[in-house]
Amino acid sequence: MTSYRILAETLEAAADSRGKLEKIARLSEGLVRVDEAELPAAARLLSGSPFAEHEQSVTSVGWASVVRAATEVTGWDEETVRACTVAIGDLGEAVSLLLPGDRGEGPSIAEVEAFFRGLAAAKKPAQRRDALAAILRRTSAVEAKYLLKTLSGGLRVGADVTTVEEAIAAAFGADREAAARARRDSGDIGETAAAARAGRLGDIRFRLFHPIGFMLASPIETAEEIEGELAELAVEDKFDGIRAHAHKDGDRVALFSRTLDDVTRQFPDVAAALAAAPGRFLLDGEIVAWDGERPGSFFRLQRRLGRKAPDPELLAEIPAVFIAYDCLAESDAALFETPWSERRRRLESLAAASELRSSAVYAAASAAELEILFAEARARGNEGLMLKRRDSLYQAGKRGRAWRKWKKPLATLDVVVTAVEQGHGKRAGMLSDYTFAVRAGENDEGGERFVNIGKAYSGLSDEEIRTMGTVFRRITIGKYGPVRAVRPEVVLEVSFDSIQKSARHKSGYALRFPRIVRLRPDKPAAEASTLEDVAQIYEKLISA
Amino acid sequence: MAPFPGLLEPRPEGLYAPAFQAWIDPAVPVTRALLSHAHADHAVAGHGEILATPETAALYRLRHPDWTGATREIACGEPIEAGGVTLRLVPAGHVLGSAQVHLASDGDSLLYTGDFKRRFSRTASPAEAPHARTLLIESTFGLPVFRFPPTAELERRLEEACREAIADGAVPVVLAYSLGKAQEAAAILTAAGIPTVMHGAAWKLLPVFQTAGVPFPISRAYETGPPARGEALVTPPSTVRTPMVRAIKKRRVLYLSGWAVREAARAEHDADVRIPMSDHADFDALREHVREVGAETIVTLHGFAHDFARILAADGLDARPLAGGDERPSREEDA
Repeated sequence: MTSYRILAETLEAAADSRGKLEKIARLSEGLVRVDEAELPAAARLLSGSPFAEHEQSVTSVGWASVVRAATEVTGWDEETVRACTVAIGDLGEAVSLLLPGDRGEGPSIAEVEAFFRGLAAAKKPAQRRDALAAILRRTSAVEAKYLLKTLSGGLRVGADVTTVEEAIAAAFGADREAAARARRDSGDIGETAAAARAGRLGDIRFRLFHPIGFMLASPIETAEEIEGELAELAVEDKFDGIRAHAHKDGDRVALFSRTLDDVTRQFPDVAAALAAAPGRFLLDGEIVAWDGERPGSFFRLQRRLGRKAPDPELLAEIPAVFIAYDCLAESDAALFETPWSERRRRLESLAAASELRSSAVYAAASAAELEILFAEARARGNEGLMLKRRDSLYQAGKRGRAWRKWKKPLATLDVVVTAVEQGHGKRAGMLSDYTFAVRAGENDEGGERFVNIGKAYSGLSDEEIRTMGTVFRRITIGKYGPVRAVRPEVVLEVSFDSIQKSARHKSGYALRFPRIVRLRPDKPAAEASTLEDVAQIYEKLISA
Repeated sequence: MAPFPGLLEPRPEGLYAPAFQAWIDPAVPVTRALLSHAHADHAVAGHGEILATPETAALYRLRHPDWTGATREIACGEPIEAGGVTLRLVPAGHVLGSAQVHLASDGDSLLYTGDFKRRFSRTASPAEAPHARTLLIESTFGLPVFRFPPTAELERRLEEACREAIADGAVPVVLAYSLGKAQEAAAILTAAGIPTVMHGAAWKLLPVFQTAGVPFPISRAYETGPPARGEALVTPPSTVRTPMVRAIKKRRVLYLSGWAVREAARAEHDADVRIPMSDHADFDALREHVREVGAETIVTLHGFAHDFARILAADGLDARPLAGGDERPSREEDA
């Protein structure tokens, strides 16, 4: 049995080290100290989750329950625990500072794994709270810190699952690419670690039904910049829907979104259609609203979102379909390392034998022809074009230049920042997430009135974020948990893919995929864009 | 009942001692100010007259060379009487020259701690705790997450981190506030035989420290040249992103502050090493001070004033935050 202390101290050492190489070294030093039987759990815990990805298991413990448990083990009242959390900026860290540094023998890795599995299985909040309090009574400061960070879903040590892949390779003398492939195929960093230790990474077989990273495309701005490559490129419409991976085996279907969330229950019509196709496969494609002949707008699809399970009326009113554009696995064969042209052939033969819809593939010989394809794609109600090298392998989770996307941006807006909060991961501790607003007439005191329209994770450099952080701290007018309300003074130029009606923001609109283009220190808030500007762009969009 | 009848009253400019017609640490220039210490947030420029310890007065003059007001120096322990009230300055241990203010009249007494620390340090003698009926206590670190390791351990961590950096061919860049922490760090490093280069804002205050008997045998000003291999740089936290620090290609940044207990301090200050060495009392020391002063009424101010008062009240004490509460930013650099 290995003490969980070793993992906690490993994570602490990784957090304290600068640079990916050093973090990999710390993690691999920790991994080699773990007993063989506990290695899978250890590798998962180091990557931030107690479970394998393919298990699709979660431990949801409410903030209130964690605070209550912390109260029990630290002896401090709830208000003090909450105040400490705000002061420190992280609950796990705060609780660890309230616990004694050393309490002797703490839990083993196996016990911590059993604790998390117990949490996932527990039916009642009280059971989860009691289990948490019971284990916290045995943990010393550093153990409690990482236990609670794991529970809240963010270790914040600057190491993600791919860092752990590399640490596994380093610890057991395995090939880095082989470890990455094994993790992708098995959906389990734990199984990957065990196989690497046994020198059997090659034995890992592809498994369906766990989320896999999406291959992403790099943007291009003009047709000309890609002209020299056109002979190698397959061209498809860029659909305006929800990118999804469809896993299918017999009657079982799972749909995973770009955020690696399981969205199957939101799209029972899509799942049923996929289930009807014969065979076992993994397809990459797009869920779109279907108007009978062609994809409907994203606005229609949007009404299907945010509901756990849609009612029959909505399903009838806004049917959704899956348009497949890639085949990543078929029967027992994973096809990630197979060229796009062969994957496409497989997709087409699957589609020929079923009712599966697949994208149309075009080719362009010149920039002028590509412009025509773009215009046609827009006329079909799609966003733009995708261009994929015919020899491209499927690089899961990576954005490369083998795939390109071409959209033409809408107008930008000049917005005013109204609130900021700390980012996560690399940007933990930095005020990097901005909520912003447009002008909407006058407020009660005759000043400008601002209504929120969106929130963006800063597209600014670290340097700019820090500089802005100082500004935001100075103009803070209120703190609400992690959020600081700021005086509306800072103007940003944002671009976006679309505008939607939304009840989430006071403006009644929300920007889709807002990105910060640049700071506009030259522009006073009184000259920022108005709600009317937004309404105009919106009208233009829906009439298009 | 007002918390401190007669001896002190809260006014918009700050706390006012009517018997002496003086404001204590006012945030704006006034005719007469009693300064607990020379940090900028307690000692703004432009007062007509200041009452302060000789060290605080000297530091104030160095930091405000154009100031032309009058100074009345008061040594710690020396009683001053006016209008039936006796004022005594009591060592506060925060930085060189820092003092608590003890006011006593017939049957009543009050202690204003200002910023204080009860530990031994190389540049200030520890805070004393005279009895008073009312205690106005700072609560910068008034939450139980703020407990700092013993000074000896912190000094060792500072020294070791600097030695390690130097052994790795890096320049240790020690982030420390220019009055107090910087000299403390330089005193520790030079005593350990590590030559120290000091930022000008800290260097110019050295004469006052040397007069008070603190030696800095192997230190020099940054003006005389950037740190060479084997030297450490002591500089205020606000300089970490300036060309001065950036020019040091291989550096290891050490952040010295009570706020360094927070991991977020790493990102906020580009720090590689966090050392929670503070000029303020930590949570335990705050409670010890409360116990030792033995006041009937406790008023908390600065930082986590509301939380600390609530925690004291839960122990059965009569404690409340100063009305208006958190009037200072809670993460000032001098922590």
